[in-house]
Amino acid sequence: MRVVIDPGLCQGHARCASLAPDLFDLDENGYGVVRLGREVVPEGDLDALLAIDNCPEQAIRLELDG
Amino acid sequence: MQAEPRADDAADRLDRFDFHGHALDDIWSDYRAMHAGCPVGHSSKYGGFTFIAKLEDIFAAEQSPEVFAVGPSMLLPAFGTDEPMIPIDIDPPMHAIYRKILLPLFTPRMLDVLTPGIRDTAVELAEAIAAQEVADASKLFARPVVTIVFSRLCGFPEADWPKFDQWVDDIIYERTEDPERAYAAGNAVKAYFDDLLQRRRDAPREDDLISVLLEARIADGRPLTHDELISYCYMLFVAGLDTTAWAIRAGIWHLARTPEAQAELRAHPERIPAAAEEYLRMLAPVQGMARTCLRDTVVRGQEIKAGERVVLVFGAGNRDPDAFDDPDTIRFDRAKNRHLAFGGGIHRCLGSNLGRRELVIALEEFLRVVPTFTAENPAESWHGVGPLHLRVQGGAA
Repeated sequence: MRVVIDPGLCQGHARCASLAPDLFDLDENGYGVVRLGREVVPEGDLDALLAIDNCPEQAIRLELDG
Repeated sequence: MQAEPRADDAADRLDRFDFHGHALDDIWSDYRAMHAGCPVGHSSKYGGFTFIAKLEDIFAAEQSPEVFAVGPSMLLPAFGTDEPMIPIDIDPPMHAIYRKILLPLFTPRMLDVLTPGIRDTAVELAEAIAAQEVADASKLFARPVVTIVFSRLCGFPEADWPKFDQWVDDIIYERTEDPERAYAAGNAVKAYFDDLLQRRRDAPREDDLISVLLEARIADGRPLTHDELISYCYMLFVAGLDTTAWAIRAGIWHLARTPEAQAELRAHPERIPAAAEEYLRMLAPVQGMARTCLRDTVVRGQEIKAGERVVLVFGAGNRDPDAFDDPDTIRFDRAKNRHLAFGGGIHRCLGSNLGRRELVIALEEFLRVVPTFTAENPAESWHGVGPLHLRVQGGAA
């Protein structure tokens, strides 16, 4: 699975980077980004699910690869 | 025992729905009535408004600024001024231009720079409380922590800090009872910033928010006008000082009344960030914000007409049984917490990460420095920044 943040929805709440710092980072304006090289996660990845559950804007989702 | 209110009783009760002052004492009953059968309804308070109570409906409205605009103001009633506050009362397209100026200053990375100062301030103030038998934790801790941290960040001179609490009280807390007093304080705050900006132009500095505003260039390359600068300063003043003090006070209020919660966080300080999220969800400083409906629309089957004032009731969304298990209980083990304490959409509270950092550090240091405490006056309310008297175990021994 691939973790994706929708930049049109992200408003910089920073919950993802706070709760799952190994997977998410913030850009210079405080918007969430998936860390380089960490985009692909196994199905049921706990960090990804925690961030999805706590993103106020529902801006994070998992997509099927390829 | 009282019977559950009937539907028409609920509509009647909610027609007087208010989300300020003493209405907050038992606003949870209103929220339960909303979720029981009136998730979109009407109140005749403050000139009349439609309220929206479901978490998903509130987020949807926040994400649709083309339907739910913030103009003329998201504050209802007015915050001691009829001028729009930048950027919270500004709609697209100017909103993003105004907000962008402040964005880099409020990122979590910038907050790391502030963290040692927040911690030192919290420790120093908590030590004074620990030395007393009975202490007002609002006056001696929650309010000054925030005044010191935020004023340093903004560049409000220390000599002026003693004036701030009264202005905040008049603008935010007296406005529903005595709007004239709020406007008088609002004028005093504007005059204060008029003078401060002049002083700063005469003696520039480089290390605070006022400097950033004075140096800022708007999209077409022009500097901010004097009115725009006053508006930014006013917004920072009313948004930055009161809310976080309320949140810190509310957390301590709960811990003083809930010995097992206090014991848990003392034994497991690593749970304080999760506890802070629950305090923000359950005891939030901002229970609702206003919008203006720009075109006829339908929310949950209820028609909302163009021109109607709408209140997004964040506090109700935060207790929405469709969004939270066991919604009326403070639980430190909640794994899913998409609360609305900071709103959402393009007007998401810009200071949310600073507010969170202050709240967490304040609770950490308070619990570390102050021995076990209880409520000295159990009648003191959960809301606002009024007195919060604690009895401190072994204090003043």
